[in-house]
Amino acid sequence: MPNPLDFAPPTDPSLGAVASVLREPTTATLPLNKLAPEAALRRLELTIVRRMEGFLHGDHRGLLPGPGSETNDARVYVPGQDDVRKMDWAVTARTQTPHVRDTIADRELEVWALLDVTPSMNWGTEGVTKRDLGIAAIATIGFLTQQMGDRFGGLIMRPDKLNRIPARSGRMALYGLLRRMLTEPIVHDHAVGSLDLAAGIEAMARTQRRRGLRVVVSDFLSPGDTELDPAVEPDWERPLRRMSVRNQVLCVEVADRRELEFPDVGDILIRDPESDFQRYVNTSDDGARARFDAAAAAQRERIRVAIRRAGAGHIALRTDRDWVYDIARFVLAYRRTAAMLHQPPQGVSV
Amino acid sequence: MNFDTVFLNPERLWWWLLIPLLVVLYVLVTTRKKRTGMRYTNTAVLGAVIPKQSQWRRHLAVAMSLLSLVTIIAAWARPNGVERVPRERATVVLVIDVSQSMQATDVKPSRLAAAQQLSKEFATNLPAQYNLAVVSLSGSPAMKLPPTTDRAVAARAIDALKTEDSTAVGPALLTALAAIQMAPKGDNGEPAPGAVVLLSDGFNTANSSPTQAADTLAKANVPVYTIAYGTDNGSVDLDGVRYNVKPDRDLMQKIAQATKGTYSAAESAGQLDGVYKNLSSQVGYEEVKKETTAMWAGYGLAFAVVAALAAVSLGARWP
Repeated sequence: MPNPLDFAPPTDPSLGAVASVLREPTTATLPLNKLAPEAALRRLELTIVRRMEGFLHGDHRGLLPGPGSETNDARVYVPGQDDVRKMDWAVTARTQTPHVRDTIADRELEVWALLDVTPSMNWGTEGVTKRDLGIAAIATIGFLTQQMGDRFGGLIMRPDKLNRIPARSGRMALYGLLRRMLTEPIVHDHAVGSLDLAAGIEAMARTQRRRGLRVVVSDFLSPGDTELDPAVEPDWERPLRRMSVRNQVLCVEVADRRELEFPDVGDILIRDPESDFQRYVNTSDDGARARFDAAAAAQRERIRVAIRRAGAGHIALRTDRDWVYDIARFVLAYRRTAAMLHQPPQGVSV
Repeated sequence: MNFDTVFLNPERLWWWLLIPLLVVLYVLVTTRKKRTGMRYTNTAVLGAVIPKQSQWRRHLAVAMSLLSLVTIIAAWARPNGVERVPRERATVVLVIDVSQSMQATDVKPSRLAAAQQLSKEFATNLPAQYNLAVVSLSGSPAMKLPPTTDRAVAARAIDALKTEDSTAVGPALLTALAAIQMAPKGDNGEPAPGAVVLLSDGFNTANSSPTQAADTLAKANVPVYTIAYGTDNGSVDLDGVRYNVKPDRDLMQKIAQATKGTYSAAESAGQLDGVYKNLSSQVGYEEVKKETTAMWAGYGLAFAVVAALAAVSLGARWP
């Protein structure tokens, strides 16, 4: 006699993300301890090329003079104020007046991550949803920026409001932030709200004035945007470019394999979690699938071009790939390209 | 349409109320916002690239299954159809007017000659097992031929008809009834069903109770098929006086109505021929109620098969 338990629905948690194809997920599909291998990431370091303006002593180059390791201009020695050990003897000899060598203060890094949790992020076909992949990317970047005094803050962009998690330093604070992101209530489908990605980036640039690293995690898909030409700016490009004037910006683009390669699942009703789109589509049509794949590739290319044009770093993650591996590869290549990539516009100090 | 007569279980037709309910439900479900379907994020590009798929197969499947439901419910209510079954045996009485007006020549060669010719044809066209009697309609109606199946004798009897004076429709009908009752009874002792074909061309001139006689025939369940014969312009010369003789159509209609027969008018030999042919099929068959459930169930099956094909063609993948 067969065991009745054989017919019980599968309880494998890895199916959690695939169920998001049918209905909105109810919980996160990744546990906190699987987000990023903290120990392995200690050996990596994210290159920071922009100057910081923190108020603590840190490991990154600051903007203003102060006690630090990097030398700046020489200036006239002020008795009683300057340390005689900082005396620049070569300049003093040349000018016959005592000079000291100034240093630039070493400052801590302030990282702010913007997580897009709009309904289109609650989707994934390969084990994790895009939203949880985004949280994992934030975790990985967070562990890469855990040097002395560095602070990490988060913004959770819901359609109706922007939830702010204050920036704090330390591992435990980062874990708290990640837990908060994982337990953030799932946004229901067709939730009403005026916040889109452009408004979210704008809000982050406006509220976090201190220079630092900014991480934008989203799928960069605007509902109803059918434009494929890379020469046309997406609506979020302008705020992104404005933010990258003062900050070093990293864009983490999360995508699912099935957003790029359309599945063959027969004649099926397809509906959008955000817009009113509802349509029966014959997905068995090879020609239509090929057209869609080409259009999706063009769409991704447009996103890539727009992010590059805005002067931000671009990390493309996919739910069916290992995000730690992808981010590590990005960080290694970033060592060489970051200085060029994040060159500030004319008239802005480095 | 009276459902009680058409359906044996008309109360089951209340299930038809289910159909509009289902239609409303279908419309509601298709226009609902949160339908079950695949959630998909990149629909902006998808909608631009992949054309909208026509939904006629889906609607066809639903419409066909609803139609099949309609017909199957109708079949369940046991509908009745009317079927024409040839009679086993019957007695037909030909009542032919032989009054003087039958001499009129508005029907060529004369009314009587044409009627005799066509009545003989009518007699030979009747099923052979039917009894035929001939009654002459005049002032003193007489049974010229008792019921018999011998058509040669009938033809001779019809040929032997001569014009006589006056017209008495009532006594002629009663004579016809007597002729029907003379017919031999069947094996089970019941008399054969009778029918009277009354061919008359003039007004009732004697014994003014043709409708009473018609009522008597109606009680005996004998239909009278009346034929108003001749035109309004017919005339006949008797003793140097010209009389206008036109058929009494009102009376003929009344008699036919009272006895559940039919009325027809014949103004020429050709029309009379048509009327006779029509009558021979009416007299020769009877209408029997029959359950047509199987036919309705067959329609339902056909609709269901089309619905199933449409639904299968929607299927995700063909092998």
